[in-house]
Amino acid sequence: MVIDIHVHPAFFEPINEDEKKEELRHDELNLHKNGTAPLKHFFNKMNCAGIDYAVLLPEDYHTSMNGEVLVSNEEIRRLVDLAPDRFIGFAGVDPHDEKAAEKLEYAFSELDLKGLKLHPSRQDFHPADRKMDALYDICEKYDKPILFHAGLSFEPHSTTKNCRPLDFEELAERRKDLRICLAHFGWPWCRETAMLMLKYPNVYTDTGALYFDSAKEFYTQMLTRDVPMTWIDRSLRHQVMFGTNDPRFEMIRMSKAIEELGFRESTLELIKGKNAVEFMHYDPEVR
Amino acid sequence: MIKIIPLEIMTDKYNQYFIITKEVKEAIAASGIREGMVTVETKHTTTGITVNESLECLQSDVDVFLKKLIPEDAPYSHCHMLQDYGSTGGNPTGHLKALLIGNHCHFPIVDGKMIAGSAQDIWFCEFDGPSQRTINIIIEGTE
Repeated sequence: MVIDIHVHPAFFEPINEDEKKEELRHDELNLHKNGTAPLKHFFNKMNCAGIDYAVLLPEDYHTSMNGEVLVSNEEIRRLVDLAPDRFIGFAGVDPHDEKAAEKLEYAFSELDLKGLKLHPSRQDFHPADRKMDALYDICEKYDKPILFHAGLSFEPHSTTKNCRPLDFEELAERRKDLRICLAHFGWPWCRETAMLMLKYPNVYTDTGALYFDSAKEFYTQMLTRDVPMTWIDRSLRHQVMFGTNDPRFEMIRMSKAIEELGFRESTLELIKGKNAVEFMHYDPEVR
Repeated sequence: MIKIIPLEIMTDKYNQYFIITKEVKEAIAASGIREGMVTVETKHTTTGITVNESLECLQSDVDVFLKKLIPEDAPYSHCHMLQDYGSTGGNPTGHLKALLIGNHCHFPIVDGKMIAGSAQDIWFCEFDGPSQRTINIIIEGTE
């Protein structure tokens, strides 16, 4: 079973009936010329990449966007309902929303979303800020993980502030029962991410990075040199999850590239699916 | 007069070949144009249009030949973050295959029929799928 832990469905056709909203998404995500994707097309891509399940991530920055939610929890639920055999949905809330905790409770208890996605730079908060405790408490209460954006972000209005892997250490230390993913391997601070994963078993990462070169060349650099492959294969094999950051990066070539790096078969199985199941505490094939 | 009839195809493989002769002939019949020319042109830069015989073995040979000529793992330049897209371009092989195959073909129309050799079929070639593709069937002439 292969899971892509990091997919942005902002341009999926069923949630793009409004042209103005679609245009807003292009601008606010800095993704252009990609059009909208019928679900059938996306499934064709998943099939070519050998991916069984895609984890769909919402984007809620509405307190800084005149109340506009880029991709809402309800839209994620709607997509999951359209293809429950291919999609797993995460929740998103804007931490500056007075009702953020209430909305997160609803997303977990009523919408049955499987985790929380947050972006500390775009949403302008520090991961260790005590103001975030209410959201973290809810995640622990419902046994749900958090996938944090980490490292470089290509979205506008977004720097690497609050997103360097070291920014997450205090949280990892303070809440050992909270499973957190520093997405994109925290690139370019991949060794900081590796350092945190070595010390904190509750810290995970994903492979959703392709900032230079071809998928094979970039993964060779990031997953065999920046972080030697033996570090992952021997020590961090239970904490690295396959993610593509689709549609910014290339699902098919990234899937092929990671298989060609030389990991043990059992490590590949962990990276490409089993670790995501452990991270989410949810197995889509056991219902 | 000129009529442009779009043909939509959703491909489901990375590299894939379709015979679209029937669709082109149907478009000519629907256009009402009796004497003129038809041009079949893909709107994309990682797909191709060509004319060849419709045989499974030939499709396989073309596919193998192009993959040998343009391997996936060569050190291409077109593998980097494209600022205009906000995404990483990594499909140089699609562009290069499209370059070799070409993006259009022409046939004359006489008495409402497309004039072609008995072995000639129109191929649409996908080199960076899966994707949603549009081919323009451009029919020019008199009714």
